[in-house]
Amino acid sequence: MSAATATVPVSYRIADKLHLDAPWEVFGERTRRYELHFNGRVVEVVRGPLVVEGFGLRIFRARGDRTAIGFQATTDTSEKGIAQAAEDATEIATHSDFPAKRVELPSAPPAAGVEAVDQKLWESPLPRLQEYVDALLAPFDSIKDSVPSFGSVRATLSETSVANSAGLRTSFPGTTVALELAVKAFGGPEGVPPGEYWINQLSRKIDPDDAGDPVPSWCSYAEDARRAQAPPTGDLPIVLPAHVLAGIIPSVVGFRWTGGARLREMAPERGTVVGVPGLTIDDDGRFPWGPSTAPVDDEGVSTRKRTLIAGGAVDEILYDLLHAGAFDTSSTGNGLRGLTFGYRDWLRFTHAPSVGASTLVVAPGTDGTDAELVEIAGDGIWLQQLGWANPDPISGSFGGEIRIGYRIRNGKIAEPVRGGTIGGTVLALPGTPSLMSCIAAIGSKPKLVDDLSSPTLLVKPLTVAGDARVGST
Amino acid sequence: MTDLRDFEADIDHILTRLERAAPFADILAQRVSGQGIRLDRKSTSPSTRPRLHGAALRAWEGSHWIEAASSDLSLAGLEVAVDGIERALESTPVRSDPPGPSSVTDAEASTNPPHPVSELGVEGMMALGKDVLGWATQVPSVRDALVRIGWSDEERLYLNTTGARTYQRVTRVDASVVPLAFEGGRVEFDFLGEGAVGGTECLGFLNEAKVKEAAESSRALLSAKTPPTGAMTVILDPGVAGTFAHESFGHGTEADQFVRDRSYLKPILGQTVGPESLTIVDNGAYPGGWGTIYFDDEGNPGQRTVLVNKGRFVGALHDRETAQVLHARPTGNTRRSDFLSRPFVRMTNTYVEPGSWTLDELVKEAKNGVLMERATSGIEDPLGGQMQLKVKRGRKIENGQLTDLVTSMALSGKVLDFLKGIRGVSKAVDFRIEPGYCGKGHSDIVPAGTGGAYLLSNAIVGPA
Repeated sequence: MSAATATVPVSYRIADKLHLDAPWEVFGERTRRYELHFNGRVVEVVRGPLVVEGFGLRIFRARGDRTAIGFQATTDTSEKGIAQAAEDATEIATHSDFPAKRVELPSAPPAAGVEAVDQKLWESPLPRLQEYVDALLAPFDSIKDSVPSFGSVRATLSETSVANSAGLRTSFPGTTVALELAVKAFGGPEGVPPGEYWINQLSRKIDPDDAGDPVPSWCSYAEDARRAQAPPTGDLPIVLPAHVLAGIIPSVVGFRWTGGARLREMAPERGTVVGVPGLTIDDDGRFPWGPSTAPVDDEGVSTRKRTLIAGGAVDEILYDLLHAGAFDTSSTGNGLRGLTFGYRDWLRFTHAPSVGASTLVVAPGTDGTDAELVEIAGDGIWLQQLGWANPDPISGSFGGEIRIGYRIRNGKIAEPVRGGTIGGTVLALPGTPSLMSCIAAIGSKPKLVDDLSSPTLLVKPLTVAGDARVGST
Repeated sequence: MTDLRDFEADIDHILTRLERAAPFADILAQRVSGQGIRLDRKSTSPSTRPRLHGAALRAWEGSHWIEAASSDLSLAGLEVAVDGIERALESTPVRSDPPGPSSVTDAEASTNPPHPVSELGVEGMMALGKDVLGWATQVPSVRDALVRIGWSDEERLYLNTTGARTYQRVTRVDASVVPLAFEGGRVEFDFLGEGAVGGTECLGFLNEAKVKEAAESSRALLSAKTPPTGAMTVILDPGVAGTFAHESFGHGTEADQFVRDRSYLKPILGQTVGPESLTIVDNGAYPGGWGTIYFDDEGNPGQRTVLVNKGRFVGALHDRETAQVLHARPTGNTRRSDFLSRPFVRMTNTYVEPGSWTLDELVKEAKNGVLMERATSGIEDPLGGQMQLKVKRGRKIENGQLTDLVTSMALSGKVLDFLKGIRGVSKAVDFRIEPGYCGKGHSDIVPAGTGGAYLLSNAIVGPA
């Protein structure tokens, strides 16, 4: 059996029962979820199937050179539920107003071939999750004084479909897996409290064969957290690996490089220099195994790659149908649902689309391995984990507490640091220091983490708040 | 269907099937509706909240819980879910009871404000929103504002095999305005927002004076200085103090973390952690609080639980299992984010009770440092006991006076050091509870109120 949908897709069924006198679009989902939660090695809860079927209906009414939009979402797919949703959306549209001169609903079928389904997981979700968890936890048997204190894996298997009044009918499957694992290190000298390394990852697929590979490193970070001291205060070179950048860059670029920001006069002008010459960032809705990867966006528009920053200068920005209509351009396939500043709701049908980035791809540089970037940094900090960067998309500022990092001394990783804060601005006015304009080295090997594929970056400097001033210790 | 209780006969039928298969089972059904509006100078977007409903089914397997859920509340839809649970239970003949006491509460409660926001309709909310937008954009440099007003009705019906039946309808109202100030290519904002359980009275804060004050603050932030950096004396505003009570301290009192040996607070239960002036509470029964619930998702009434009493750490938050393990009683803190999410021990309204100082007295006591205002986020570190709080703005404190406005900051430090360093909490006149959303880790989001008054201590501060 393949991941192809076995029943008629939700949006097709809804579309067949609609009788509307205005252009419309239906986004449907049938989702099964399976979860394993564990306390140490003991299973706490086995969950699934958690079955949700629902749809979001949007209608569009032209009003001169503007458009009124009505939206309603529901889990009620009965005839009565469909009629209620249509009535709600029609009523909402009477009060709505958006400066789109036109809305061009897509009708073309999408180009085939994106990698977004873990076939083994789709076919046998709970056994596959159990196999993955067993493999993930197995290395702890041979690591002294480290345990998994709490964890969960949550697999979401979605059949997404889009239908509209322009004749589009498209459906496609997708899988995602969220892993949460708290690794605790303990033992050793009397009185030293335990340390923790807390992992949260989102991916499209799982592989039991390599699930346990990172466990020894995670245990080391947890152990190092026990003896780490606060960093010094001052401006320092900071090395940022992809998994840290994934919590910083998408929230800001994913808002500022969009038609939504342009409408509110916050998008950077094309050609403006915002970063160092080596900085190139693409948005790629078809990036292999990206959590947002799909053949079409959530409005049914085919996805593709767009260059947002080329050689440090602003190139394209991203549009959904409505913002494209406001600026007399075409959608870039970036109408997305349920993705707001880094938080992802797995019930996407409950959200009207808005414009945002899919997978952001920072082009690799030529400055080598992580060790070579550390050597270039000379004296600084390797940031392994921030509490929560929580970037502000409007001002571009970001920052948070160092959960675990390492001092870099004489071009080598030295003692662990923990506590204190690191902060800065992703994007600033020309001539003002920012993360993008202060990149001193770009690593050669990219890594996909959540919605970002990026090599490690060396940023010189960022502001560190700690105990004593730099140079005084 | 106009009420979740209209599905009750089918839900009860399914519970009877579960009762035959498992020593204990429960069902939590949920239904949500509501309306909202968003507007700025470019667009107007009214919305209805998604019409969602569904049920979570849970049965005790003998050593752990088995759960299934369905968004189809018809008998046929629920039977698909129960079939899955019955199959999982077939291979486990063990019929021991689950840990902890099962609720036998039989009660109903609903929010019944004298003037529900639903009476305003979309037109009424739009009219208020346009007024707010107009007030904000009268301030120079404030070219736009993001205005949001909404309400939601959430029904939850809980039934279990020991006879508990609780039904609640909680009506939450929230609104905010984010005035956007522009100058020379720079954009800044402050914000004004509140949320509570109730009716139109919750929107009273959206008046001209307060909206213009927020807009003036947005404009002032365009020329604000960068914050001081390093270890220093800090005063948290009431919202930031609440975020501390919730994120930094409260998550460590969720007793599931005790059971997992994942709380830095577990070894010090019963010990003094702060000054006698410090009391921290979680209160699901707080009248009108954003995080208020009438019953939790194991059928226990929402209640007030003292976590720190006059400086002594005295209490934790429990579900049935943690209560059994730790010889306590459930505290009404078992919450599911929705019918698709598992239950966890969660906070409701968590706050620092007011003290005896004035803000002026705290500023003089601080002498030098920073006042941190407008909480934007925080994150827990339940085992490590570190803290991270972020704010949108602040004021420098120099020689016992509030001076320059400064931009966004993050605060870090060890929670226990911060608690020991508390030198004062301001009076009840400053006390307020703010609305927020809390994740258990990075998911399972529930509404949670956080509150307090001004609070003086020491921490590490840096730009963020």
